[in-house]
Amino acid sequence: MSDKISVKEAGGRKIVLADSAAAMDESTKGDVFVDGSHCGINVGEMTLDTGAGAMIGNDAGMGKNDAGIAGLKFLDKHGIPAAAVSAMSAKIGNGRSTYEQGKISVVNEAARKLGVSAGMSAKEAADRLLESLVKSGK
Amino acid sequence: MTHEVHKVVKESGGLRIVIADSATSVSEDNKNDIVVDGSHCGANIAPDYILPSGARGMIGNDAGIGLENAGVASLKTLEEHGIPAAAVAAMSAEIGVGQSTYDEGVISAANELAKKMGVTVGMSAKEAADKMLEGIS
Repeated sequence: MSDKISVKEAGGRKIVLADSAAAMDESTKGDVFVDGSHCGINVGEMTLDTGAGAMIGNDAGMGKNDAGIAGLKFLDKHGIPAAAVSAMSAKIGNGRSTYEQGKISVVNEAARKLGVSAGMSAKEAADRLLESLVKSGK
Repeated sequence: MTHEVHKVVKESGGLRIVIADSATSVSEDNKNDIVVDGSHCGANIAPDYILPSGARGMIGNDAGIGLENAGVASLKTLEEHGIPAAAVAAMSAEIGVGQSTYDEGVISAANELAKKMGVTVGMSAKEAADKMLEGIS
């Protein structure tokens, strides 16, 4: 997939798919960004810097010191809902696979409060996040 | 592309070993480099970042290998383009942190070109990067 595509829109916000979190920019501000990247600390920083409304990525097998999901905790501190799909459920590096095949393995507190939970499909999680963001108007 | 200042850890014969947190920060400035990064080695990494940059070698993270070996899919693509490449085990180094890949990473997978240069599974990423540097000089 080149760059990014929007798969759903509601209340001026979108669910956007991209292979890499590096595709986040001004145009995805406030959106639910679903990508094929790991959720390491640098991806958390990219998400915060670009102002995405919520993020779903890949847990990259968690790995050493849970580095694969370190960005989720980081985003939680900033009140940004974020979740990861299991590396065995979706192909890392492929945003469409995250969205269509991904099963949520980890959620941060902000996402949990919006009804996202482990075991849910990434698609359902993205829908819940979009709905909640639109309702909250934040 | 993300902006990042790369750390150069070695230079020899016009080639360098550089460290980056993300493969998405690699550019034409890295055309003489072996890039050691914190990214996974998924299918998008080779065509979207490493090949356009002209980098000479790559070491990333295997991201736990994952569904259909997606975490190391780019090693083969790079092989087809004559680029030695390898991945470190996700349990050996922190994904997203290039310095951790370099300092702590233990090789879990390597393409044939890297193997021909002496890179082996179980080797430290540091030694593997050195082998690539020697191998392509």
